[in-house]
Amino acid sequence: MDNAWKAIRKVLLTVVLALFIGALFILLISENPIDAYAALFRGAFNGKLSFGTTLASFTPLLLTSTAFAIAAKAGAFNVGVEGEVFLGGIVAAYIGINWTFLPVPLLYAACFLGAMIVGAAWAFIPGFLKSYYNVNEVCVTILMNSVALYITSYLVSGPMSAGVANAQSDPVTVRLYQFLKPSSANVGLFIAIAAVVFIIWMLKKTTFGYKIRTVGTNPMHAEYVGINPRKIFIKSMMISGALGGMAGCIEVLGVHGYFLNNFATGLGSNGMLAALIVKSDVVLAPFMAFFLAILKSGAMGMQQSTGVPKSIVDTITAIFIIIATMELLFQFNGKRKKKKKDKAEA
Amino acid sequence: MQFSNIINASLIYATFRASTPIIYAALCAAITQQANILNIGTEGIMLVGAFTAVTVSYLTGNWLLAILVSMIAGMAIALIMAVGHIKYKAEICAIGMGINMFALAITKYLLNSILGKSGSFSDPAIVGIPKVHIPFLDNVPVIGEIFNNWAITEWFVIILVIVITFLFYKTVWGLRLRAVGRFELAAQTAGINVNAMKYQAILISGLIGGLAGAHLSLGYSNLFTEGMTNNRGFMGVAAMYFGNAHPVFTAVGCLIFGFADSVGARVQAYGVPSQFVLMMPYIITVLVLAISMASKKAAEKKRKSSLTV
Repeated sequence: MDNAWKAIRKVLLTVVLALFIGALFILLISENPIDAYAALFRGAFNGKLSFGTTLASFTPLLLTSTAFAIAAKAGAFNVGVEGEVFLGGIVAAYIGINWTFLPVPLLYAACFLGAMIVGAAWAFIPGFLKSYYNVNEVCVTILMNSVALYITSYLVSGPMSAGVANAQSDPVTVRLYQFLKPSSANVGLFIAIAAVVFIIWMLKKTTFGYKIRTVGTNPMHAEYVGINPRKIFIKSMMISGALGGMAGCIEVLGVHGYFLNNFATGLGSNGMLAALIVKSDVVLAPFMAFFLAILKSGAMGMQQSTGVPKSIVDTITAIFIIIATMELLFQFNGKRKKKKKDKAEA
Repeated sequence: MQFSNIINASLIYATFRASTPIIYAALCAAITQQANILNIGTEGIMLVGAFTAVTVSYLTGNWLLAILVSMIAGMAIALIMAVGHIKYKAEICAIGMGINMFALAITKYLLNSILGKSGSFSDPAIVGIPKVHIPFLDNVPVIGEIFNNWAITEWFVIILVIVITFLFYKTVWGLRLRAVGRFELAAQTAGINVNAMKYQAILISGLIGGLAGAHLSLGYSNLFTEGMTNNRGFMGVAAMYFGNAHPVFTAVGCLIFGFADSVGARVQAYGVPSQFVLMMPYIITVLVLAISMASKKAAEKKRKSSLTV
């Protein structure tokens, strides 16, 4: 219990410190930080539209943050979730447009399955390279994000183009129900929550989850007790990829209704941020994802009602992660006690 | 498609020109790698350098000052990473990615609020890095085409590769740096101040990263765009892996990526979709990285078996 409390306290302190540094940046351009933050939270919660937008931006972050976290549990630093979201989105769009011979419920399933399989296959590549050839996965996944982006961009401006001014595909034939119109919040949120709950259960309560955690903490020990660390590593990367693909599918079927070029920019990296701030704790990550979603959706309102550009939000979230990664920050209590002890001994 | 239009003498300069920013980035990554620190933040350091260089050059009209300030800015960003990693034990990948996102966001924010632009910033008042024009080469056919009108920083990168190679392998400092990277405890036992060496490595890496950015925004182009580094920092890190953090081999790796980039730019004129051209350098980088790591592993295996059996 003490450890959980410590973790939560650290997250809260990180939030406060990051918001404080953000306030300094707002002061730098001579605006009032308190007004700006107030406008930000108004923009996230005030009214059906804003709250719906917050929920809609929470959905993909929930999945991408969990995707990052589960890969991190096996010791991978999967920056490639964004590419998986893109590819999952394009596959869902392709199936949703062309496979109309399937009955509707099967078509939904096909969209989700297709997106998840392609996402998992995409994540297999860096997972394989890392576990068998020790190729740094951060580099590979980042570069593969660009490749995925260009592949989808080629498809929607070439073979799958709807022929309109924007690079986008034809509308898909199945949509996820939007429940807070006119915002784009949709039932994908509940699918995402179910998926995340399943992942948490799997990680904490099953043998497979135990294997993942063992490989992440100590691959050598894992090998010693008869777990193949390479296979588990690749599998956890593939689960991460499948979650990314699912996020892409929900975005296409639920939010846009078609594949829009560049639609997922920032979804993967923001999910990664949420996971990193809480040290890839799968239970805490969704809460952090929700907090980031508030910041993201409120940013527009803040920019409109005050003179603060919405890019301040990205700055604040980046400061978050820099502070959050510093393990020994906020351990002042322990240090002080230790000093006292040292003094007493001396 | 005419082969001679793609492969000709000017391709040599085009390759070198496309490689230079990556070489700087790779050197930035190589220095910390020698101390066994993976500098994922190269991209961010570079971006901050690029922004600072354009801003200072725009405000003062002095390109040399712009480079110096952007190097200091790069060092400041690297200092955050150094303190976080060394003093507060942050995981290097995590804080590196944090630095990258911070750089992306802060340059966007400052671009909006200080320069009042969004997206990109270009202005005639930005003074670029001057090009070196060698008059007597004008009349030499092929050589003139290849070597004339390089930016000063393009000549400088060659010097820098040599200087850093010398620094790594011929000086006491380099020996200590590599000792820290090889086996920290042993280095400490030998009386080397490990943390000081790490701080120095990251800070110097920041200086070079800032220079990389300044070259990108003032030498390679003459403007600033949001996220203009475009993963060049990560290509630099990949090249560093390829060259095993040896400056010369690392630079060779960068030339491969630069070659892919400039061939792609020429092929585009013949109706190949631009997206394929744009993704080429990334695919080649991943392939080269995978092949070089795989062959490294094979070599290691061979060495091991000859010892034990």
